[in-house]
Parts: sequence; structure tokens; C-alpha cells
Amino acid sequence: MISLRNVSLAYPNGTRALDNVSLEIGKGEFVFLVGHSGTGKTSLLRLLYREMGPTSGDITVDGIRVDRLKHSRIPALRRHLGVVFQDYKLLADKTVWENVAFAMQVTGAHSRDVERQVPRALDLVGLAHKSRMYPGELSGGEQQRTAIARALVNNPKLLLCDEPTGNLDPTTTTEIMELLGRINIKGTTVVVATHNSAVVDRMRRRVVRMEDGRVVTDEERGYYYLGLGQDQILSG
Amino acid sequence: MDWGKTKFFLGEVARNFTRNAAMQITAIGTVAVTIVLLGAFLFVRATLAGLGTDLLSQIEISVYTTNDATPKQIASLESALRADPRVASVEFIPKKQGLVEMKDRVKGEIDMSLLTENPLPDKLRVKVKAPETVAAVAASAQKMPGVANAVFGQDVVAKMLRLGSVLRGIGIGVIVVFVLVAGIIISNTIRLTVFARRREIAIMQLVGATNTYIRMPFICEGLLDGILGAGIALALLAIAKSTLWPRLLEALPGFSLANVRIDGTAMALELLLVGALVGAVASWISVGRYLRT
Repeated sequence: MISLRNVSLAYPNGTRALDNVSLEIGKGEFVFLVGHSGTGKTSLLRLLYREMGPTSGDITVDGIRVDRLKHSRIPALRRHLGVVFQDYKLLADKTVWENVAFAMQVTGAHSRDVERQVPRALDLVGLAHKSRMYPGELSGGEQQRTAIARALVNNPKLLLCDEPTGNLDPTTTTEIMELLGRINIKGTTVVVATHNSAVVDRMRRRVVRMEDGRVVTDEERGYYYLGLGQDQILSG
Repeated sequence: MDWGKTKFFLGEVARNFTRNAAMQITAIGTVAVTIVLLGAFLFVRATLAGLGTDLLSQIEISVYTTNDATPKQIASLESALRADPRVASVEFIPKKQGLVEMKDRVKGEIDMSLLTENPLPDKLRVKVKAPETVAAVAASAQKMPGVANAVFGQDVVAKMLRLGSVLRGIGIGVIVVFVLVAGIIISNTIRLTVFARRREIAIMQLVGATNTYIRMPFICEGLLDGILGAGIALALLAIAKSTLWPRLLEALPGFSLANVRIDGTAMALELLLVGALVGAVASWISVGRYLRT
């Protein structure tokens, strides 16, 4: 699903965000991307949905060569993946239903498909009963669910989450993570960048640890802190 | 036709249009003022051009015959002039009638009763179809046998023709300046509305909307600004025409405005088109700048 080979990224001001990163993520995997802030997690995700291009290296997402992607082809890539952020990025003057439908409407979906898929996505995240409410009337967890529903409404094969629980309390965090787990079981590849150790330790999924723009460890069923896992596989 | 899709799109346009009402009013007002000035200018120009054509159409060439010209020679001269495709009319003025006309023209200024002999030759009064050809027709008449002299108001014609071309030149310059100013202001207004919606644009880009799709509502917004502004301007111009035009006629008693023909409908359509185009192009540019970054 995702393949990075010798990817480096330097910002125009000279900061080296990623340093020779190579990573393979298969179809249907659930992967945590962990590390302190400023270690390149967000930069890596941005490269995947082509918010930026790498300075060097090859990136393939769902068979698309993202590093060489022409500007005009970016929308097509984004329709194949969903992205969720810490700050939800919802539109305050649209209802839950409208926020989710927006992702389909602005990509030219037929209104028949919108009518069919929006309720399905809202059902999945458990917000069908609040579809007429505005983001301001929802709790943080509900807002994030709305954002997840929006990311999923086009049935993407890949869901990228950048600190999805960064603004949420522990209980809500657990709920959101369980939701992401369910989504993964249905077949969507999920990549979650986080520095929430509790979540990572409870879920026991693949953990890719980054430090200073490099992948330092890659464990099959890892913990947030290195050395806690029994079956860790060191790489690179 | 997917009615739901259309409804969503129109809803988005309407929502954005009303949400930034203050900015839209600025843009519409700017277009209105620009189009009023432009319309008034076009109107004045058309009037001046009409007056000029009117004056020029009265220009005639006096072709004086030599004293020894025979009637036969004069007749063939007349038919030769008539055969010229540039000539509108040829009128034979015998010397007797010429004297009567002259006496009439100088009556009260010069006492012509002392004149014992008619000093005037016979002449042909030639009118041309297009004022620009006056000089050429006069020159060719000059070369014909039996012609002593072919004269016309050289100075006046030259000045009028020059005035016409200068007016046209200034006209294009003024129109370009007006349209540019309106374009810049609309473009700035739209940039503010684009900025106010940057969050929405970011989300659209995130979920994979194409740049064309993101642009479309803004283009419609600019188009709407342009059309509404031009509409207001046209209403103001129509009022001005019905109230000020009759007074202008009174103020210029010496001029005949009968020949001034202004196609109001065509001009209105032109102005509307200018407004719409300026609005659409200006917003295209300002959104484009935002999308590229």
C-alpha cells in the first residue's frame, strides 16, 4: 500500500525533516508512527498525501508514484485516501451531515451516491443521531468522529491520522482508537502518528519509531517505549 | 442532470455571496461607478462622432468651369463626375444662379448692386458619400477638361478627420484604464473573500477537489459582481439619458443632434458584457494566486 525508498526531505530554510527513510506498509495494516514532536511524523504523512514533495527518494501510495505526481493529478490521489487531523478541520457553518457530504460534493459525486454513502459513514462512526448538529454543539470526540466519517465517506483504501487524539481525554481517546481499529478490520489500511504512549501500549500494533527524521525501530507488535516488547524486530 | 448537485453548487455560491455582503457591495459599487463613467464616455463619444459626421456630410466641392467651357463640355464633365462611385450627387449651378446665391450670402455686408457684369463661372456642386474621399474627388475633378478650379473646405475637413481619429484613440485608452481599475478592485475584493474561505479551500484540496472546481464558485461570484454592478450602472445611465438628454438639446441650439444615432440596446449589452468579463477574469486571477501557493 505504501512504499518509501531512501526518502529525504529538507525544508527551504534548511531544516532536515526526513533523512533517508525507507518504509513498507502492506494492505490492511494498522501502523503507529511514534516519536517526539519534530521528529518527522507529520512530514512523513504530508509526503503521503502530497502536501509536499520529497527532496529525494521514491514514494508509492496505492500504486501511484507520489513523488513524481503532477500537480493536476493530486486530487485523484487524495480521493483514494482519507486524512484526519488533531484539530478536526470541520466547517463550523455546516452540520455534521453537510461536513461529511462536502467531501463527496466537492469532488463531483452524484447526489444519489451522497445520499447513500453519508448515512453509512455516519453509522460507522456512531453519529447518525447527531447528523443535524453543528460542530460547535459537539464534544471533541464527536467532532473527531465527524472528521473520520468525512475521511471515510469516499471509501478510501488508506486512512492517515495525524495526532487524532491529541485534543481528547483518555476515555474518548480509547473510543476513537477502537473506531480506527474497527475501520482497519473492515479492510482499510490505517497509519496513525501519535505520541500518546497509553494508546500505543494498549493496542499492540506495528510501531514505527522515528527520531531526528529517521526510522529508528520498526516492531511488529510494539510498545511506545523501546524495549518493552518481547517480539521486537530492530531494523535499519 | 443531477439536480442535487446543481442545488449544492448554487447554494454554495449564494451562501458565500451573502456571507461577505460588505465586500460584495464594494465590488458591485466599483463596477457600477466604472460602468457609469464608461457608459457616459461612450455616449459623449458617440454624440461627438455623430455631430462630426453631420458636419462633414455637409461638405461639398465646388467645381468651377473655365470661362470658355462649352455646354457640351460641361455636360460631359457632369456625367463624368456622376460616374465616380465616391460621388453622392452632382448639381449644376449656372453662373446666374451662382450670383443670386452669392448676393444672398453677403446681403447686408457688401453692396453687390454696383456689379455690372457677372464675374462668376458656371459651377458644379459635388457631394461625396464619405468625408474621407473629399480631397481625392476634388483632386480628380481638378484634372478634368474644362475645369478651372475644384475647391472645398480643406482646413475644416482635415481638422474634423483628425479630431475623429484622436477621439477614437483617446476612447480606447480611457476604456482600457477604466476596465483595468475595475478589474484590480474586483480582484482585491475577491482575494479577501478567498482569504475568508481559506479553511474551506484547504479542506476541498484535502479531500481531492480539483482546482477548477474550487475556482468555480469564485468565478461565479466575480461574474455576479460584474453583472449586478453593470445592471445598476445601466439603470443610472438610462435615468440620466431620459432626464439630461432633452436639456442637452436645449443647451445646444445651433447643433442638430438629429444625425446622432446611439444604439442603446447594443451599448447596454456591451457594458453588461464588459462588467461580467471584468468580474470573472479578476476573480480567476485572484483565486489562481491563492491556489498556486
